[in-house]
Amino acid sequence: MSIARANRMTPYLFLAPAGLVLLIALFYPICYMIYASFLDWNPSQRIGEADWVGIRNYVKLFSDDAFRESMWVTIKFAAVVVTLEMIIGVGLALLLDRNIRGMSVLRTLFILPMMIAPIVVGLMWRYMYHPTVGIFNQTLTSWGFEPIPWLSDGSWAFASIIIADVWQWTPFIFILSLAALQSLPSSAIEASKIDGATGWQQIIYIKLPLMLPVLIVTLLLRLIDSFKVLEVILVMTNGGPGLSTEILSIRINRTASEFRELGEAAAMSNLLLIVLLILTFAMFIYNKAQELRAQRLRAAAEDTE
Amino acid sequence: MKLSKRTVWSAAVAVSATFTTGYVMADGHTADVYEPYAGTTLVVNFPAHPHYNAVLEVLDDFTDETGIEVEVDQLQYLKMRERQTLELTKDEGDYDLIAYVVFSKADYVYADQLENLAKYFMNPKLANPAYDAEDLIDGYVQNIGVAGGKKGYLPGPTGSLFGIPFGSETSVLAYRKDIFEKHGIAVPENYDQLLEVACQIPEVEEGMGGMASRAASGHQASHAFLLHLAPLGGRVFDDEWNPTINNEAGVAAANALKTIVDCGPEGSQTFGPAEAAASFKQGNAAMFMDSIAFAAGFEDPSQSTVAGKVGYALHPEGVRRGSQTGGFGIAIPRNAQNKEAAFLLMQWLTSKEGDLKVAMAGGNPSRFSTYENAELNEKFPYSATFGEALKYADPDWRPIIPTWGKINADIGTTMSQVLTEGLDPQEALDGVAERARAIMDEAGYYTWQ
Repeated sequence: MSIARANRMTPYLFLAPAGLVLLIALFYPICYMIYASFLDWNPSQRIGEADWVGIRNYVKLFSDDAFRESMWVTIKFAAVVVTLEMIIGVGLALLLDRNIRGMSVLRTLFILPMMIAPIVVGLMWRYMYHPTVGIFNQTLTSWGFEPIPWLSDGSWAFASIIIADVWQWTPFIFILSLAALQSLPSSAIEASKIDGATGWQQIIYIKLPLMLPVLIVTLLLRLIDSFKVLEVILVMTNGGPGLSTEILSIRINRTASEFRELGEAAAMSNLLLIVLLILTFAMFIYNKAQELRAQRLRAAAEDTE
Repeated sequence: MKLSKRTVWSAAVAVSATFTTGYVMADGHTADVYEPYAGTTLVVNFPAHPHYNAVLEVLDDFTDETGIEVEVDQLQYLKMRERQTLELTKDEGDYDLIAYVVFSKADYVYADQLENLAKYFMNPKLANPAYDAEDLIDGYVQNIGVAGGKKGYLPGPTGSLFGIPFGSETSVLAYRKDIFEKHGIAVPENYDQLLEVACQIPEVEEGMGGMASRAASGHQASHAFLLHLAPLGGRVFDDEWNPTINNEAGVAAANALKTIVDCGPEGSQTFGPAEAAASFKQGNAAMFMDSIAFAAGFEDPSQSTVAGKVGYALHPEGVRRGSQTGGFGIAIPRNAQNKEAAFLLMQWLTSKEGDLKVAMAGGNPSRFSTYENAELNEKFPYSATFGEALKYADPDWRPIIPTWGKINADIGTTMSQVLTEGLDPQEALDGVAERARAIMDEAGYYTWQ
């Protein structure tokens, strides 16, 4: 009797440590952040001394132009960056999906940017964008062109951080899509060849549709990541000039350390978390839908046999 | 005071060793006041800053004289505040002495996190009668050390002392003597001349900007704007805390900054202080108007191509003279564990001898007597000009109140929009004033109106 019960309990006992870690490491901080977002709390106070202000922080955020601007910059940034990275990353993968000598060396070279610490990436690009001694402007002036105000003009600065991010994260999409390409069933591709499909037709009608599940997951991962990017932009522009590159995570950082409003910063983080949760759920639902569809197709195929 | 018997013994040995070598302090007072504290290790938090780099060079002398060890935690100056805020809210802090940026004064004192220094200066066992506090530069003491006076941050009968200025700064105009001489340009004494010269330089000297100034979005742009606001007759708030930043003087200051940046070296719009100074050091700008702390770097041939070619003049006059007051002070946290020993270090560093030692190593003096010292003037010929500039140092060039962080950031972002996106200065400052009023209202500054 008791042995049977102990047996039933065993899985839960094994799960308990993991559950406990999850509870302490994940739920506690999140609950703390949610609680803090209802407080008027400055860093010189202990949390117990902070005043409860209800949803004032949230109300304030939605009427705050700077926050709305920063939200817009973030969305714009994420959209542009992810689109560019997807196009270039998948394009590169399609180009390099063949047997070239030294391919493994090339692949390592391609993913190098991803391996560099973000602060270093930021510093590196900042020096390259330097108005006088930076390599870009020096090259431009030596070719007789006007130097470009890379980081000192709002629109250029926005373009500059996009270039840096694309440089750093395209390899991520590249290796994932290359892996997807190489695991495609060769039978389908061979069949299309026999049917006389051109290279483009192969890509558009065979490869891309087959890669789609991987591509969607990659896209969502990058999208989530691009909403949270901080260090590179912090080092390069610190959100300036004006608010032109002040993405949400920089705004949160400034709100906490410069404006000393921990409550408001927590409220912003919660909003960011909600946006990311929606994206994650979208990914989850898409995966589920794909699975169901595959099951249905398999079932249909089995029926017809 | 946590001292084990052993440390007291070893301290006693150390002190008697000091005595046997016959060491007597310069003011004729022996080191025995330090005896109870010898062997203590003080943990101090200093910024990475030329002044505090100089301090590091003389700290060994302190340990030799007193037997008190000092462990220094050095941080970038804007990062210090975050760290200190965390430390100061603990029950038992790790820091015994902190250097704080002047605008942190309001927050720390308001949150009751700094020791009031009265009880230390009243304690005959600790206070050195030869300290001569009158010799400390008054503008700095009021601006950096005193809180609770007029408007809460200005000198006044209700103020009291929480810190001592150390590594304080004012602004001067550094200019290239050779360039000015070559083109027969006179050193600007007022703002009209300054702006004219700033835009004349790029015309007469190919590839050289007029004046290198900080202008990066945020704190830097705000700092640069305020630097011109005070001499041009403006203030951020009037005496009733009504924002006056958008009056005529405010617009004039914004226009001045825009002119300076437009005629400045390439890429000025994103300069922080270090980049602006580097641009001047590399000979890309003919003028640099900022803190005196940069002067030592300009004169160092290993990092500057313009060493020996730089002249220094007072911050030009607008409708009045008003150079900045800023930099650092040192204070004892309320939760420090070795407060008395920390006071002794504080007193030693800011004493006449300590101040001179630090100044000779390249730091910024906090005392009038140091500025008048012949030896120092010989080593750093600009010291006399700096001493003169201090007479006009304006403690009210920016408000030091708990809401300042937010207003400062807003001024900085908006000013950056004026500089880079062509936002109209009047419109920009009207916006700042409106938002500042809302922030002040929320913080209760209009309760009595």
